[in-house]
Amino acid sequence: MKFLCIPCDTQMETQTDGIMPSDSKNLALKFKCKKCGHSIAMLTNKFETEFVSKIGVEIGGGSEESKSPFNMVGNTLSQAKEILNKDQPAEKKELVWTDEAKERIQRVPFFVRNMAKKTVISYAQEHGATVIDAKLMDEVRDKVGM
Amino acid sequence: MKTYNDLAGDGGSNFVGQVTSQLEKLRTRLDKIKHKIALMSGKGGVGKSSLTANIAGCLADRGYKVGILDLDLNGPSIGKLLSVPNDVKLNVDNDGVHAGEGANGIKIMSMDMLLPTADTPVMWTHKSGETASWVSMLENTAIRELIADTYWGELDYLLLDMPPGSDRIDNIKELIPELAGVIEITIPSSISQHIVAKSITKNNTVGVPIIGLIENMGGYACPSCNAEHPLFSGQDVEELCRQKEVDYLGKIPFDPRISEKTGNGKLFYSEHKDSPAAKAIDVSADKILNFTKSNS
Repeated sequence: MKFLCIPCDTQMETQTDGIMPSDSKNLALKFKCKKCGHSIAMLTNKFETEFVSKIGVEIGGGSEESKSPFNMVGNTLSQAKEILNKDQPAEKKELVWTDEAKERIQRVPFFVRNMAKKTVISYAQEHGATVIDAKLMDEVRDKVGM
Repeated sequence: MKTYNDLAGDGGSNFVGQVTSQLEKLRTRLDKIKHKIALMSGKGGVGKSSLTANIAGCLADRGYKVGILDLDLNGPSIGKLLSVPNDVKLNVDNDGVHAGEGANGIKIMSMDMLLPTADTPVMWTHKSGETASWVSMLENTAIRELIADTYWGELDYLLLDMPPGSDRIDNIKELIPELAGVIEITIPSSISQHIVAKSITKNNTVGVPIIGLIENMGGYACPSCNAEHPLFSGQDVEELCRQKEVDYLGKIPFDPRISEKTGNGKLFYSEHKDSPAAKAIDVSADKILNFTKSNS
């Protein structure tokens, strides 16, 4: 699926932050025209979200494709050996994730988890935060519709 | 206004690129394996997994590097047959998830190795009804990941232990177009032959080569005197082969020990090479080797 800004006749680009799925698996994906700056959101229903998750690709994955083996299996099985689900939040040294924050980000479906992490990290950096905790994640949710 | 084809990429997610990359990874992995063979049966309970393990043992004993991919995602049994326990420690590194090593040095990957306990079922979610519509797609992706993300090293033979039924062969054909062929397995019962005939027809229809048909549990070999007695009534399996124009790869007599590992953790084939069943496995293995040699 591609999005075109009609007035500019220019392809819109996926915004790699500002994305968070809701518990009901509805998803908001943001696209922006780099020419005029106009943004739109594509809202998916649960079934559309599920479809993407099952083919083992990631939204925004062009630059952040997971290198973890058995990525879909490890992240989708209700119970799997821990080593298969070793995606950990943010590798930025200056940011510390509390256990609760780690747990919350792990609950985000794997195929949008990288983008969700970016959203949180970018918000934390913009606000000078060094610790990512549940309170900060609540702020992000209020801000971007998590 | 620009059209779909005027726009390069998809604006950031690069789904096509990701899928292409998945397939390249798969290709790289498969290129290190000389022969890929699927073992199928129409019906369950015909001893397909036990036979797969013992054919692999036979090939390994002849000096070939052999692996088995257990594609019976919901009823994996190869780990148990090859003495690779569920709690085996997974070795994960940049090469992928390393295949386990079982009896006779056979490499193995199975869903059982990925689950936390021996009695954990393959469930894609805790919530009932949540994924029912998606199971087929999940399993397709799981099979692709099992093939592409397993580090097998170099192999002469990779045997694919297929689940009962013939629905997954479409998936395998797409992922492994160079599949050497399929070995069909039936027992002599008329019901099993009825179903395996459908499997043969399907493979012929979709263009998957059939190496031949093995008649498993074709009689009972008395452990005391080695005399054979019939176990099932049904049409002559060789007659079915003639009707369907597939090669008859042999008759393996029933031996209750074939699905059990020995006290040494070895396969039945290696421990009881003089038994009628092991000798029959040898004959079938010869025919499989001849097929792959003459078709490679």
